Amino acid sequence: MTDSHLMKHCQQALDSTRRHSADEVEVFGQTQRTISVEIEKADLQTTKSQQETMIGVRAFTNRQVGFSCSNSIVDLESVCLDAVKLAKASPADPNNVLPQPDPFEPVVGLYDPAAESYSASDAVKRAIEILEIAAAYDKRVIVGNGAISVNVVERCIVNSNGLAAGERGSVFSYYALTTARDGDQVSNMAFDFGASRTVAGIELEPVVRNACERALGSLGAAPGESFSGQIILSPDAVSDILGGLLLFQTNARNVLTGSSRWGDKLGQAIAHSSLTVVDDARLEEGVASSSFDREGVPRARREIIRDGELVSLFHNAYTSQAMGTPNTGHASGGARSIPGIGPTNLMVLPGDVSKDDLIADMKQGLLVTRYSGHADPISGDFSGVAKGAFLIKNGKIERPVSGTLIAGNAFDALRQLSGISSETARVFSSVLPYLRLESISVTAG
Amino acid sequence: MQKLLESIAASTPDWVELRYQARRTKEIRVRNGKLEESSSKQLTGVGVRALVDGVFGFASTTDLAEDGIRRAVAEAQSSARAAASAKKQKIAGLAPGRFARGTFPVQTDDPLDNHPLEEKLALVMKTEESVRNASDAIASSMASFAEILDEKIIVNSDGSSVHLFSSIPEFRVVAVAQQDGDQTMSMDSTSVHGGWADLFGIRTPETMVEDCVQLAVDQLSAPHAIGGNYTVVLDPGLVGVLSHEAIGHTVEADIVLGGAVTLDKIGKRVASDLITMCDSGKSEHASGATGILAVDDEGIETERTVLIEQGILRSFLHNRESAAHFGVEPTGNARAYEYSDEPLVRMRNTYIEPGETPVDEMIAGVKNGLYLKGLGFGGQADSNAEFMFGVREARRIVDGKIGELVRGATLSGNAFEVLESADAVGNDFLWSLGAGTCGKGQAAKVDAGGPHIRCVATIGGRQE
Repeated sequence: MTDSHLMKHCQQALDSTRRHSADEVEVFGQTQRTISVEIEKADLQTTKSQQETMIGVRAFTNRQVGFSCSNSIVDLESVCLDAVKLAKASPADPNNVLPQPDPFEPVVGLYDPAAESYSASDAVKRAIEILEIAAAYDKRVIVGNGAISVNVVERCIVNSNGLAAGERGSVFSYYALTTARDGDQVSNMAFDFGASRTVAGIELEPVVRNACERALGSLGAAPGESFSGQIILSPDAVSDILGGLLLFQTNARNVLTGSSRWGDKLGQAIAHSSLTVVDDARLEEGVASSSFDREGVPRARREIIRDGELVSLFHNAYTSQAMGTPNTGHASGGARSIPGIGPTNLMVLPGDVSKDDLIADMKQGLLVTRYSGHADPISGDFSGVAKGAFLIKNGKIERPVSGTLIAGNAFDALRQLSGISSETARVFSSVLPYLRLESISVTAG
Repeated sequence: MQKLLESIAASTPDWVELRYQARRTKEIRVRNGKLEESSSKQLTGVGVRALVDGVFGFASTTDLAEDGIRRAVAEAQSSARAAASAKKQKIAGLAPGRFARGTFPVQTDDPLDNHPLEEKLALVMKTEESVRNASDAIASSMASFAEILDEKIIVNSDGSSVHLFSSIPEFRVVAVAQQDGDQTMSMDSTSVHGGWADLFGIRTPETMVEDCVQLAVDQLSAPHAIGGNYTVVLDPGLVGVLSHEAIGHTVEADIVLGGAVTLDKIGKRVASDLITMCDSGKSEHASGATGILAVDDEGIETERTVLIEQGILRSFLHNRESAAHFGVEPTGNARAYEYSDEPLVRMRNTYIEPGETPVDEMIAGVKNGLYLKGLGFGGQADSNAEFMFGVREARRIVDGKIGELVRGATLSGNAFEVLESADAVGNDFLWSLGAGTCGKGQAAKVDAGGPHIRCVATIGGRQE
């Protein structure tokens, strides 16, 4: 990997930036090939292909930093010079540092060589299959939107501390957004998404069937009931309502700027003791897995919340230096931007009760499978419409309901969590269970 | 490059569209006294769209040599061919329009490149510092500057051949105030299609800081809005957001065909007869609108498209494919953000035409209502024109006078019903979307605005 064309370009940019009198340099390079086929109104739309190499240079002079990037290799020299110019004009910050090299074992299963020869007509065939699976499942279902895409990436990073790392990856991703129509009845939109690192791992059938089943399930929805009490969130709804808050509050950047409430809560309980959240960047074949982060720091599996207690934040080199804590290897982004902070494969660990058992001991409640509304990651307040929602009565799902509003506070909801299902589902790169929340305002539409 | 693209188009038997784009951007952002980002980006390439057997294929390349571009043409064609046998609704044709030719420079006396990085950085740092020092209640402060400079060459098989430039600077200020564990945030931004001096033509960094800090601090002691139906006076900021977000998207022809509420409404009443709404490639009524666009990304000259004329729905926004489908002329609304994006139906500058009522007279006529200014945090709108927007600044109107600030107000309803209820349209006008970017799979720089408008709407807040 260290002898690839991309790696050579990165090394050249490193040397050139140093010649322009930068005292520290980082170069991140990325070559990406993408093919995508889109579906609209149960028909194929434009097929797209793209290939691009992007080089991003961070130049440091006396703890001043500047960033420049370009997708034109012939302009590399000017990119290096620009990064140095930007650095020299900037105020210094003692926390502008680059990581030292640290050896790592490559994560297994991130790249399928067969992806290299995957063509637009291969992708078109699979897109047609999405339409065929939906048509065969139930004539009442229409795939309003969908897509299949393949993304083959090579990432390289070098820095002036001698760090040099490279990795190839491939990701096939696909989704279906469906609606069902039966006479005058129109269902809510329903969605499912799947992804695989390998050609052989593409599984369209379960994804498309899920999307169809969900759309059909919400046919005949009628206004529900108003109450304050228990609701169950599906993995998708967990991501929509709680995901943003969890990531905002645990991002060390937001702790440094004073906008996270959990900045001084490390080692303290911030959620019900049944909740454990893990970020596993080394998950085999994981969609968001990689061996090193945007700054070349080795990836790891880390607990963020253990038994309801906050045990780690998400750090990159800057926040780890500023707060004097170990770098967790969560520098995010690509060659087009300065390193940010972000999760990889985020997982809420499953509980030991099935979803049906969670429902079985509820007298009145709501099962929410999708959410459309606001969820403020700072105050924790959320309010919006429960889409694909079902009224629960005396331990059973009674009927689908429409236009039901739910409102509550995510901080309170995490503390009062009353159930975690044993089933989990993948939501993009996260793996999440069903969660049961208490004291949520439910208003019939 | 223009000659090369013309010769490739001329020697390609099937219909083809070639778009060269060289983009240079800069971004400077300072928060709490620390520089978070100082960066520059260069993005150059050619996007190719081919039409073969009634299907579009799209490919892009960073290889600017003739054989590199020809390879991209072949790739776009083979992508189209791969889908041709399975595609049910073939593209019957592309509507002809005003195919543009020529060079379209940026109209400004003060190009951004005339101002060095140091000057831009110094202004951002000074502005952030003045937010930070404005009040003891300020807990967090941010200022940022960004610029997007584009050069495009668009050539197609129908004879369009244009060399097009754009220059969009943006400036933002954020203040977070804090007291007894309570936090309030206020944000302000401005943006133009033009140069450095144009950016601060209406609002200077000083006035933005003053407004932003004042609002964040005042909200700490403001009572919460009480939910209910109110007579409201919307400022040009919210009139713009309503026009773009809640109405504009429902008249984009691709959204219309996807089942928007407007599908069978052409020629029908959708708003009060005081309302005339347009989407234009020019900066009507006031200069510097961010969405200025002389020629769209299909090489069609833009125009002022009247969407609603005195309350009657007159037109959708079209690209060439949708115009052919509806049997009308394209309106010049096909836009692509980067070289690697294919053109989609997008807005430009969307606005409501000014009316005749002086703003103070409009407010004086409200016995018990709310004056609502600008978009706050959170917002969504559906293709049925149902919307919910956070309001940046809400003040009570009592006996015709603007009074107390209230916090946490949201504006919601059906946008067509809200416009149906309009009983006064101001004689003022402002482009007001600030540094807004529209997202629809890809980004687009757009603007929106209008006069003040008095109407009836649902305000979300707490219950008494």
